[in-house]
Amino acid sequence: MAHKDLREFTEALQSGNDLVTIDDAVDWDQELAGIGRLSCERDGPAFMFNNVKDYAGWRVLANPVTGWRRYAVALGLPAATPVREMYKIYAEREQNPIKPTLVNSSPCKEVIIPEADIDLFDLPVPMVHDGDGGRYLGTWDLVISKDRDSGWVNWGMYRFMVHDERHLTGYPRPNSHLGKMLLDGYVPAGEAMPIAIVIGADQPSHLSSTATFRIGGDEVELAGGLGERPVELIKCETSDLFVPASAEIVVEAEIYPDKIAQEGPYGEYPGYRSGEMGNSVCARVTAITHRRDPIFTIDTTGFMDSSAVTTSISGAIAIRRRLERYDIPVSEVYIPPESGVHMAIVSVRRGGPDIARKVVEILTARRALMSKVIVVDDDVDVFNMSAVIHAFSTKCHPERGTHVHTYEGRANALTPAYSQEERVAQRGASVAFDATWPPDWPAGSTPIRATLDSMYSQDVQDRVNARWNKLGL
Amino acid sequence: MTQEYEAFVRDRAHAVSGSEVVLTLRDLSPGRHKYKGINVRAVISETPQEGEPHLWLRSVVGVREAKPCSVRITEHLPAVFDAAPYTDYFTVTEALEKG
Repeated sequence: MAHKDLREFTEALQSGNDLVTIDDAVDWDQELAGIGRLSCERDGPAFMFNNVKDYAGWRVLANPVTGWRRYAVALGLPAATPVREMYKIYAEREQNPIKPTLVNSSPCKEVIIPEADIDLFDLPVPMVHDGDGGRYLGTWDLVISKDRDSGWVNWGMYRFMVHDERHLTGYPRPNSHLGKMLLDGYVPAGEAMPIAIVIGADQPSHLSSTATFRIGGDEVELAGGLGERPVELIKCETSDLFVPASAEIVVEAEIYPDKIAQEGPYGEYPGYRSGEMGNSVCARVTAITHRRDPIFTIDTTGFMDSSAVTTSISGAIAIRRRLERYDIPVSEVYIPPESGVHMAIVSVRRGGPDIARKVVEILTARRALMSKVIVVDDDVDVFNMSAVIHAFSTKCHPERGTHVHTYEGRANALTPAYSQEERVAQRGASVAFDATWPPDWPAGSTPIRATLDSMYSQDVQDRVNARWNKLGL
Repeated sequence: MTQEYEAFVRDRAHAVSGSEVVLTLRDLSPGRHKYKGINVRAVISETPQEGEPHLWLRSVVGVREAKPCSVRITEHLPAVFDAAPYTDYFTVTEALEKG
């Protein structure tokens, strides 16, 4: 079972040496995030900053769930849980949703700031990178919104930047669930869209918000399933939205149906600051509630940030389920953390060009977050990048093995390879690299891998392994 | 100490053309409110003018120029611009410049 709130979670990190506490004064302007950034790049720990310049009384936790160890702890598992095992546990828990419970009181309501008194600069919002468009409040957040017509509630992790004392600008992609709700429902009706930006909730709630989940899916129940305990919800002050009662801070706001302001640029999860600025949403803050001694959380976005594990694992499982629905003979899917959630490895029981082509078409049908898919035979361990690179380098025909699929209106505007024009039009392409043997090649002439497990008899393998072990190697 | 701002521009030549432009300035004054955005009409001078705040121009990917310009604010505008969500910000500011 996962930890019930951020504080229990940080205690678990501390006891496993996965959290470093800093009591010296640290500047919120780049220095704090810079420490977190380096930690991402060196697979280091999370950091709790107890003394943030200009913000006495606030603490900031950087990178709660960056790296596989902290991902495991977020699920309530031992930090050393193998990655393949976490994939399996996530997939199982995802299938066992747990309904939330409602509560009437919570520490997240200890301080209630009404609209008239709001100054977003009272929050220790860090400047994450030099050259960002502003200070980003929403990095490790959970944004709650409700479909105007169906009432479906969406939880997502979207970036939001402080524009001035009372306004935020943000970039939930237009084809994100929030973006679609806004554009299809609230904008045509000319109504503001209530949202709640939750900071510092129980970690399964945040994991759920990062999950690649179907439209109409209940991410609150998913959070319950991932944590193996019901999420406690409490009502917002200025809307009928419900937020996790475990939250440290809740920023309630309304996205304008007819107003914008400057947003971005921002150093994003693919590991680059791309030129996607200038196409955003704008929100007016209507209330802020928080604990008396709040902890503000951030993800120092960029190469190997939280998405390298969170979006990767949920994305890979979503891909597998989607391919299964379309009768692709899929065995396993893995999204390497280093890929910036741009490349998936798909192993199949039977490959070939038709399968590879179908895979890339299926994975880009609604929105195209993956620009590269490597399809391998199922004797290749997708979690073993040495094996994947070997298969890709040797089995993918440079001409016949490359299947490019182009599209418009659903490309990932954060993909660094795209030009400014392509970003605006959401025009792009994805490619499947077919690293499988053509199914029509006779077994008698299909190359045999020159490895111990393929080119030696079982008897010899057993003897070699026994001798290897005896030698203590 | 000279007041300092920064602004993100897509069309640099237009921004420093000497004509009045609409843009969002980020206030670089130290303290809690650093990076607050204000929308203004202003004239940017590539060669800093005596008595004018400094303005550091940045590109759309955040690359800061080596030397600052200066900026003369002619009008403070509302905090938000009238436009549908996801409307291109630079298109909106250019339209406001044309009146």
